[in-house]
Amino acid sequence: MFGLIGHLTSLEHAQAVARDLGYPEYADQGLDFWCAAPPQIVDTIKVTSITGQQIEGQYVESCFLPEMLANRRIKAATRKIINAMAHAQKHGIDITALGGFSSIIFENFNLNQITQVRNIKLEFERFTTGNTHTAYIICRQVEQASKKLGIELSKATVAVCGATGDIGSAVCRWLNARTDVPELLLIARDRDRLEALQSELGRGKIMGLEEALPLADIVVWVASMPKGVEIDPTTLKQPCLLIDGGYPKNMGTKIQHPGIFVLNGGIVEHSLDIEWKIMSIVNMDVPARQLFACFAESMLLEFEKWHTNFSWGRNQITVAKMEQIGQVSVKHGFQPLLSF
Amino acid sequence: MPQLEASPAIDFHTETYKDAYSRINAIVIEGEQEAHDNYVQLAELLPNEKDRLISLSKMESRHKKGFEACGRNLEVTPDMEFAREFFAQLHKNFQDALPEGRIVTCLLIQSLIIECFAIAAYNIYIPVADPFARKITEGVVKDEYSHLNFGEVWLKEHFEESRTEVEQANRQNLPIVWKMLNQVKDDAHILGMEKEALVEDFMIQYGEALSNIGFTTRDIMRMSAYGLVAA
Repeated sequence: MFGLIGHLTSLEHAQAVARDLGYPEYADQGLDFWCAAPPQIVDTIKVTSITGQQIEGQYVESCFLPEMLANRRIKAATRKIINAMAHAQKHGIDITALGGFSSIIFENFNLNQITQVRNIKLEFERFTTGNTHTAYIICRQVEQASKKLGIELSKATVAVCGATGDIGSAVCRWLNARTDVPELLLIARDRDRLEALQSELGRGKIMGLEEALPLADIVVWVASMPKGVEIDPTTLKQPCLLIDGGYPKNMGTKIQHPGIFVLNGGIVEHSLDIEWKIMSIVNMDVPARQLFACFAESMLLEFEKWHTNFSWGRNQITVAKMEQIGQVSVKHGFQPLLSF
Repeated sequence: MPQLEASPAIDFHTETYKDAYSRINAIVIEGEQEAHDNYVQLAELLPNEKDRLISLSKMESRHKKGFEACGRNLEVTPDMEFAREFFAQLHKNFQDALPEGRIVTCLLIQSLIIECFAIAAYNIYIPVADPFARKITEGVVKDEYSHLNFGEVWLKEHFEESRTEVEQANRQNLPIVWKMLNQVKDDAHILGMEKEALVEDFMIQYGEALSNIGFTTRDIMRMSAYGLVAA
């Protein structure tokens, strides 16, 4: 049994979903109510691999909302994630992916220090951030979408925004080791971490966002923040491939400009329909086929019976692990999203 | 529960803390006393379960003594009058149901609502308790799970014939619990316990109990949030 811990994208979205699903007690409530709401298993999921193997999973709604971070309700935010994890474990789920902001909150607030939740001792080996698969899929999107647009990687400048994060650093490692990209621009807030990454890679230019973007043929956006950043599309190269691998995804609607191609990053398409209701709720274009790569990682770990925290901690993702998860991703019929 | 921002160290000996503690401590003592009495009375309604219920009632008595010691340890006199008033409505609903033989209502009040609330409150209290009270409370909370289990098992075995009464008793009593919680939220805050964390832990525990009895997720979401916003 695999699990997914997810959440809705805003208070307004949460209220609308609660109304649609017929939970009036939750529909008309403000942020205070959601700050006290418990986690719930709201969907069961059946996935069939192209090998014919079938698995089952459960979707745990954590009741976390991004407004909790924006309004400094940090304790509530962290309770949501820890309680959702305890809920998943209590229901016997073997491997659960921490979706959306869940893994970010877990890392940022060092929730690994919390091992005891009421009468449950959290077993972290039952959880994965899903970041290895997300990083792998973003890299495949860079390789395959650039080809579609006629951008030659061997001549391209790639800017990675959020380069020192778990996913960002993994993307840099892959681009460095597995492609012939000549120029890597590293963008992040923390100078010390940037320098550490640069020395690990043995290359890469550390730059500010505004300085770097006009130079890039490909922008990989993997920074996560409750509120997005405005990018002026007129300053970008044409063509420019913009891979929006951050959370939440809002570049596609914000940036509409000729010659700028925005691709939702870290999204996979499965070859067969998945039986679930939840992906239409999180606004996927093709809800039966498309999903976050981090969610797909828990499915892959279940297919392979690798019941272990495959992706865990920060900056631990190696190219070898990305290859390992990539092989089983292909084996079971997942492909990187390539439609703009 | 998680404490992320470095919480200021609590001084257990200030007048503000001891004043708040005099009411919270009294509630806990009164709660354990009433739980003792309720289980003794339930034993008369459920003669087949008499031995188990009497043993549960004895545990509640022991808990009461433990919490009295916690008050003495901080040199606090519990405000028992406040506590009796605090429980009056729930107590009345239990006593009204008892002579009419409404076992389901009695079990819902004592074995589910009160026990779930106790578990939630004790779990939230343990990380912020003084060292003496922490030890006592850790011992108590383990017992309370077994009390909750008694109600769950009985109601599960009688699910079909009792579900209407469970829902009715839920509607009658849960709004009272939210009001009780609001009444002490400021005192609880002084002790380092946040209302929203208490509500969340209660809803988790109560939701699990309803699920074990046989209710669906949809029922649970409706029942466990009943009256919360109005309170």
